[in-house]
Amino acid sequence: MIILNATMEWGDILIASLTSVLIVFSSLAVLSLAFKLTGNLSVKSSKKRIEKRVDIPNDAIAPSDIPASEIAAIAMALHLFLDDVHDKESNVITIKRIERRYSPWNSKIYGLTNLNR
Amino acid sequence: MKQHNKLNRTTIIIFLILMVFPIQMMAQGSTGGGHSIMGSLGKFWATTGFANFHYKSLIMIIIGVVFIVLGIVKKWEPLLLVPIGFGMIVGNIPFTEGYEVGIYEEGSVFNILYGGVRMGWYPPLIFLGIGAMTDFSSLISNPKLMLLGASAQVGIFITFIGAYALGFTPEESGAIGIIGGADGPTAIFLTSKLAPHLIGAIAITAYSYMALVPLIQPPIMRLLIPKKERLIRMKAPRQVSKAEKIIFPIVGLILTTFIVPSALPLLGMLFFGNLLKESGVTERLADTARNALMNVVTILLGFTVGASTQAVRMIEDPITGELVNKGFLTDYSLKIFILGAVSFAIATASGVLFARLMNLFLKGDNKINPLIGSAGVSAVPAAARVSQEQGLKADKGNHLLMHAMAPNVSGVIGSAVAAGILLSMLT
Repeated sequence: MIILNATMEWGDILIASLTSVLIVFSSLAVLSLAFKLTGNLSVKSSKKRIEKRVDIPNDAIAPSDIPASEIAAIAMALHLFLDDVHDKESNVITIKRIERRYSPWNSKIYGLTNLNR
Repeated sequence: MKQHNKLNRTTIIIFLILMVFPIQMMAQGSTGGGHSIMGSLGKFWATTGFANFHYKSLIMIIIGVVFIVLGIVKKWEPLLLVPIGFGMIVGNIPFTEGYEVGIYEEGSVFNILYGGVRMGWYPPLIFLGIGAMTDFSSLISNPKLMLLGASAQVGIFITFIGAYALGFTPEESGAIGIIGGADGPTAIFLTSKLAPHLIGAIAITAYSYMALVPLIQPPIMRLLIPKKERLIRMKAPRQVSKAEKIIFPIVGLILTTFIVPSALPLLGMLFFGNLLKESGVTERLADTARNALMNVVTILLGFTVGASTQAVRMIEDPITGELVNKGFLTDYSLKIFILGAVSFAIATASGVLFARLMNLFLKGDNKINPLIGSAGVSAVPAAARVSQEQGLKADKGNHLLMHAMAPNVSGVIGSAVAAGILLSMLT
């Protein structure tokens, strides 16, 4: 790789810039090709999987007599259950009695103006 | 009532005593005592912001306020502009050096926090968060769009040449050129290595233009793309399997960093973050990387970058011995700001033109809408959003966001690669 320093000239700057652009392009092109390849492999394997599924009779995959609304309800219930959307409550309602200790600091007698009439 | 009058009288007497004492002390001071109230007040006055005031500090404070207003009112990149704007105000409050207050004073709190910028710790951590929040599916489903991310990096190298022509050193030119990558963390990372004295100016320029992407890009896009091509509808991206998503960060890291190892701190963290997201078994880590960690680093980075824009910094010249202002407001900063705008414009134009060039070789529904070419600059997701908006303006039913995200995220990879190349060439 070209190493630039303070003594470089215009020619070096231009060549370095051009080389850099080529390196950026080539590294992303390599990445692009690699993923084109993995993409093709993935598409092929998923096609094979679908073909295998086609061989299995429809009855074995899913019962066809369940209406769509029921499937939606089951899906919603599963979603609520698995994702823990609902908060859990104890369903017990109690009234707690709180007894405060006597303290002159919160006593009303000392807080009110005692007017003797 | 009587009691009340008594209390008033006592207060007045105490007040008079307090008034008389300083006068006595001042008199002592004037006869050569050395310590007087006036002297102390004078000393205190010398430390205040009023005594150290410089009009350049006021300009920077006003710019900081403008940043905050733009962030809050216009909602332009508020997560960046608000911390940077406030940092600018903090950094430009005039003070006397020697109290370990300023960001450039060794050992001060701000100086320690600024260490993350100066030594380049923050950018890789930001990249970890970006990796953990980025979905590369659109890119994996249409890998040829990666070339758009590469083409937009042309702006970096043209600006590099332009900066050199304007008299900057090769190292400074490289740091200025990276502004065209439209990636704040990458710009800070490279500048911290190549030209640390320009960090403030380059970071502010990069982030300012990133916030201004919705204003800079549309006119260039409309100018370079004919109406007919703006109407191109791209085919929906295919569904990407989980295995492909997991393979991407591993293969991506190996391929890119074998070519440019100097980009390892950025790309390593980017792909690591993405693996945390896509593996499906490290959700807690991914969540921390994209939320808590990312937010903490963004706060520290934005604030300290803003505070580093101290307008007045008098430093002794090692050769002449004279005090020279090495602060933010110099003609250098102005040149960097202009070069930054040129860099952004070239990056946008090259992305768009390359998309049009690619269309010459593509057929049928494989054609690319050139509006997504501008998203090759790595301002994620602002640039992709601009493509979407422009697409909708041309055709109300043409949604380009998903397609534009592909060049946008590949722009992140491309700018990190470009930074790595500049780093290895210029150090």
